Amino acid sequence: MLNRLKLRLRALFHKTEMEQELDEELRFHLEKEIEQNLARGMNPEEARSAALRSFGGMERVKEASRDVRGVRLVEELWQDLRYGGRMLLKHKGFTLVAVLSLALGIGANTALFSVCNAVLFKPLPYAEPDRIVVLSERMSDGKLSEVAPANFVDWRNVSRSFSGMAAVRASSFASSFILGGQSEASRLVGGDVSSSFFSALGVRFMLGRNFLPDEDLPGHDRVAILSYAAWSERFGADRDIVSKTITLNDKAYTVVGVLPADFQFGTTAADFEARSQADIWVPLALDPQKLQRGAHMLHVIARLKPGVKLAQAQAELDVMAANLAQQYPENNKDRGIAAVPLTDQVTGSVRVALETLLGAVGLLLLIACANVANLLLSRAAARQKEMAVRIALGASRGRLAQQLLTESLFLAGLGGIAGFVLALAAIAALTPQLPADLSRAAGIAVDLRMLIFTAVISLVTGILFGLGPLFATWRENAGESLKQNNRSATGIQTPLRSGLAVAQIAIAIILLIGAGLMVKSFWALMHVAPGFRSENILTARLSLPRSRYPDNRRIAALEREVLESLRGRPGVQSAGFATYVPLSGSDNDWSFLIEGRPPLPVGTFNVAKYRPVSAGYFETIGIPLLRGRSFTSADTAEAPWVVVINDSMAREYWPSENPIGRRLQIPGWPAWRSVIGVVGDVLHEGPDSAAKAEMYLPVEQALMNIESNPTIVVRAEIAPGAAAGELRGAVSAIDPAIAVDRIETMQQLLSGSVAQPRFRTMILVAFSLLALVMASIGIYGVMNYLVIQRTREFGIRLSLGATPTDVLRLVLGRAAVLIGAGTLFGLLGSVLLVRLITKLLFGTAPLDPLTFAAAPVLLAAVALAASYIPARRATKVDPMIVLRSE
Amino acid sequence: MKNKQTDLLQGTLDLLVLKTLQSGPTHGWDIAQRIEQVSRGILSVGQGSLYPALHRLEAQGWIAAEWGASDNNRRAKFYKLTAAGRKQLAAETETWERFTGAVKLILKTT
Repeated sequence: MLNRLKLRLRALFHKTEMEQELDEELRFHLEKEIEQNLARGMNPEEARSAALRSFGGMERVKEASRDVRGVRLVEELWQDLRYGGRMLLKHKGFTLVAVLSLALGIGANTALFSVCNAVLFKPLPYAEPDRIVVLSERMSDGKLSEVAPANFVDWRNVSRSFSGMAAVRASSFASSFILGGQSEASRLVGGDVSSSFFSALGVRFMLGRNFLPDEDLPGHDRVAILSYAAWSERFGADRDIVSKTITLNDKAYTVVGVLPADFQFGTTAADFEARSQADIWVPLALDPQKLQRGAHMLHVIARLKPGVKLAQAQAELDVMAANLAQQYPENNKDRGIAAVPLTDQVTGSVRVALETLLGAVGLLLLIACANVANLLLSRAAARQKEMAVRIALGASRGRLAQQLLTESLFLAGLGGIAGFVLALAAIAALTPQLPADLSRAAGIAVDLRMLIFTAVISLVTGILFGLGPLFATWRENAGESLKQNNRSATGIQTPLRSGLAVAQIAIAIILLIGAGLMVKSFWALMHVAPGFRSENILTARLSLPRSRYPDNRRIAALEREVLESLRGRPGVQSAGFATYVPLSGSDNDWSFLIEGRPPLPVGTFNVAKYRPVSAGYFETIGIPLLRGRSFTSADTAEAPWVVVINDSMAREYWPSENPIGRRLQIPGWPAWRSVIGVVGDVLHEGPDSAAKAEMYLPVEQALMNIESNPTIVVRAEIAPGAAAGELRGAVSAIDPAIAVDRIETMQQLLSGSVAQPRFRTMILVAFSLLALVMASIGIYGVMNYLVIQRTREFGIRLSLGATPTDVLRLVLGRAAVLIGAGTLFGLLGSVLLVRLITKLLFGTAPLDPLTFAAAPVLLAAVALAASYIPARRATKVDPMIVLRSE
Repeated sequence: MKNKQTDLLQGTLDLLVLKTLQSGPTHGWDIAQRIEQVSRGILSVGQGSLYPALHRLEAQGWIAAEWGASDNNRRAKFYKLTAAGRKQLAAETETWERFTGAVKLILKTT
C-alpha cells in the first residue's frame, strides 16, 4: 500500500526523473537485443534495425508504460490549470472583472462570517458552555426579572436538575472599589458572586483557587479574585500574588486567585462588554438570616446535570415556582422561573441583526456568481469553435466538462484568495466600528473555521457559476458549431443569460429595499429628541472612598464643593451631579406609595426610576422644567423632603390632576415627599427606548448609601479635553483620593447608544450598493451580448430606413423588459422577506411606500444607464461593414 | 525466430512475469528471454506488452524495482517479487490451474 502511494507521488513530482529511467530501461533492453542479434551473426546495422523493428515503436511502449502509473487525472488537471491560467492571463479584462466580483462577494461573506463566528458560533469560554443556563423570575406579563436573594437560596436548596447554581449581583457596576496602597487612587470595577460561581462555569484558575463556601458568609468575605487584566496591569503580573493582602475601600482583602486571560462573563450581549471589564470579584456573602424576597437584585446561573435536558429542568422549576408562590404569595404570586441557555441570552439581541446581514451577504454572493456566470457564458460563446474542434478531435464530453470546471474552480480559487485578503482588510477596518454588544467580536481572529469557510464558499461558488457554461457547452452540437460562424445565437445562452440578469436585478432590489428601510430607521432614530442636551456636555465618574464619604450628607457636601470650584473656571457654564446619567447603562428603580390612595393589591407596585441628583443638574443637561420648581441648594436633609417627577410619571399616576403638592413615600424611608416640580422625559436607555416614569430627589434626601460613585455633568463651551482638565484639577484640589474616570462627552454616549443600528445600516448600505453595481454590470453584459449578436440585424434595419432612435428604443426596450421583470420579482421577494427584519426597524413600516418606490427607481435608472452604453453602440452600426463581413 | 508462436492470453503475462521472478530478481530483457527459453520458444513476449506489464505490476505493489549492475557492469533496472506478489502468484497459479483443468475436461469430453 505504502509502496504504491510512494510510486504515485514519485510519478507526480519526479516526472522527469521517471521518464529518464524509462528511457534508460528501454535502451538497455534494446542494447541487449542488438547484442544478441550480433551474436547470431548479423552485421551491426542489421542487428540494430532488427532490434528496433521487434520493439514495435519506442513511443508506444513508453506511453503504455506511463499510463499504468495511474496519475493521468492529476496530469490532466495540471494541464487544464496551466491552460486555464494562460487563458486568464490572455483575457485580462475578463479576469479582472470576474476575480473582482468574486473577491467582493467572497470577501464580504468571509468578513461577516468571522464576525458571526466570534459572536454567534464561538462557544463561550467555559467547560461545556451549552449546559449553562440563566435562571430568571418570570413575571405575570411574561417579562423576565432579576432574582430575589431568598428565592435564589430556595432554588439552590431544592432543585435536583443542576450540578451547580450560583448568583452574581445584577448591577454590573454596583461593586466598585478604590484600590489603596498605591501612589494614585484607582478604581477597580468588581462583581459580587456566590462561592460556586466560577466552579459552576467550569473556570480553571490561572493562579490560586475559587472562593470557599465559608468565604461566602458575612464577616468572612474579605477575599478577592483578580481578573487577568487587573493582575497584569495593576499588580505587575506578580506570580506570588495569591494570599497577599490588598486594600480595597480602606479594608484589607486577601487575594485567593487569578482568572485566566480568556475569562468572560455576562448575561446579555451588552452585559458581556461591561462584565468583561470587571477587575475584581468578591463573595456575594448574602446574610442567611436576612434574605430578602422583595428586592430583585441577582442574576442566577446554573449548570445542568449530565443527562438532564433543559425541558426536564424547566419542569422541575415550574413545580418549584408554584410551591414558592404558595408559600410566599406576597412576593411570589404569579412568578414563574425561566431557564434560558446562556448562549441564547448572550447572542439574543444581536442574532437577528447578524443573521439579516448574513442573509444579505449571501444574496450579494449570488449576484456575484450570476455576474461571473454571465461573463463565462460570453467567453463560452467565443470559445464555441474551440470546443467544437476539441470534440471533433475526439475529446469526450466528460473531458471538456472537466476542463471547464477546472477553469471555473481556478477562477473561484483566485477570487477566494483575493476575497480572503479583502476580508482581512475589512475586518481590520471594521473592528473599531463594532458596537459594544458585538464585543465578543473583539475576539475576531483568522482561525481554521474562517479559512475553511472561505475555501468551501469559493468551491461552491466555482461550481455554481461554472454550471452555466457547462450546460451551454453540453447542449452544443459539435458539427453545427463548426459550420456556423461564431456570431450566431446559441440555443440556451440567451434565455439563460436573461434569467441571470433578471435574478440579479431582483436580488439587488431586495437588498436596496432592506438597506432603504434600515437607513430610514436610522434616520428616525437619529432624529428622536432624547429629552436632554448633548452638545458641549461632558460626563465623568467620581469614585469616593467610602471611609471618608460614609453618608449622603458628606457626599452632598463634596458635590457642592466641586460645583462651587468649577463655577469659577474658564469655559465652564454649569455643572451638576447625578447618580444615573442617561445612556450610561446604569439604572435603578424603586417602588413608592401615593398619599391618600387605597393600598395596592398584593404583589403589585407603583414603580419609578430612582434618580438622586444635585442642584443644577436639570439646567446643565437641559432637561426642561415643565411645572413647579427644580432643586436648589436649600433642599438639604433638614429641609422638607421633596421630589421632582417626570412627565411620564405625572401622566401615569396623576392623569387628571396637578401633581404639584401631592405626596409620595418610598418604602423604607418614613418621610413623605412633596412633588415640587415636573420635568421633561428622558430616553435613559437610548433613542430607541421608551420614556419611563422617573423620580428625582436631592442627594442629601436619598438616604441609602448608594451614591458613592456620582457622575458629574459639565456644560462647557471649550474643547472636551480642556474641560476634562479643569474637572480633574478641581477635584484633585479638593481631595486627591477621589478617582475620576469614564470621562465621556454626551455625544460619545449618544453615538455609542446607536452603534449597533449604525453598524448594521452601514453594512447593509454597502452591500446594497455593491449589489447595485454588480447587477448593473450584469445587465450591461447581457445587453452588450445582445447587441453583438444582433449587429447584422441592426445593420439591415438601419439600411432599410430605421432611425438610430428606433434601434435605441429596440435595445433599451429589451433592457426595460428585463429590468421590469427583475423589479417585479424583487418587490415580491421583498414583501416576503421584510417581515424577518421588522424587529430591526424603528419608526418605519416594513412595507414603507417611500422605500418600496425609491429602490426600483434607483435601480432602473442605474440599470438603464448601463444598458445605454451598448444600445448606443447598436445605433452606430455601419450597415455596409456588417453586410460585407459575411 | 520460431515459426510456431502463440499469442499470450489476456492476463497470462502477469502470471508468467511473477513466476519468472520467483527464482530471483532480474531485469526486463532477461524476463523476456527466460519466458521464451522455458516455453521452448512457444511463448514470445513483445517489449510492447512487457514493459507496461512490469510497470503495472510495480504500481500494484506485486513487484519492486531497483537499479543495479548487470553483466559488463551496465546499469539495469532489476525487478523482484514482493510479499504481496508472492501471494498474488500463488492465487493466480491456482486460478490458472483450475481454469486450464476445466478447459481440458471440456476438450476431452467432446
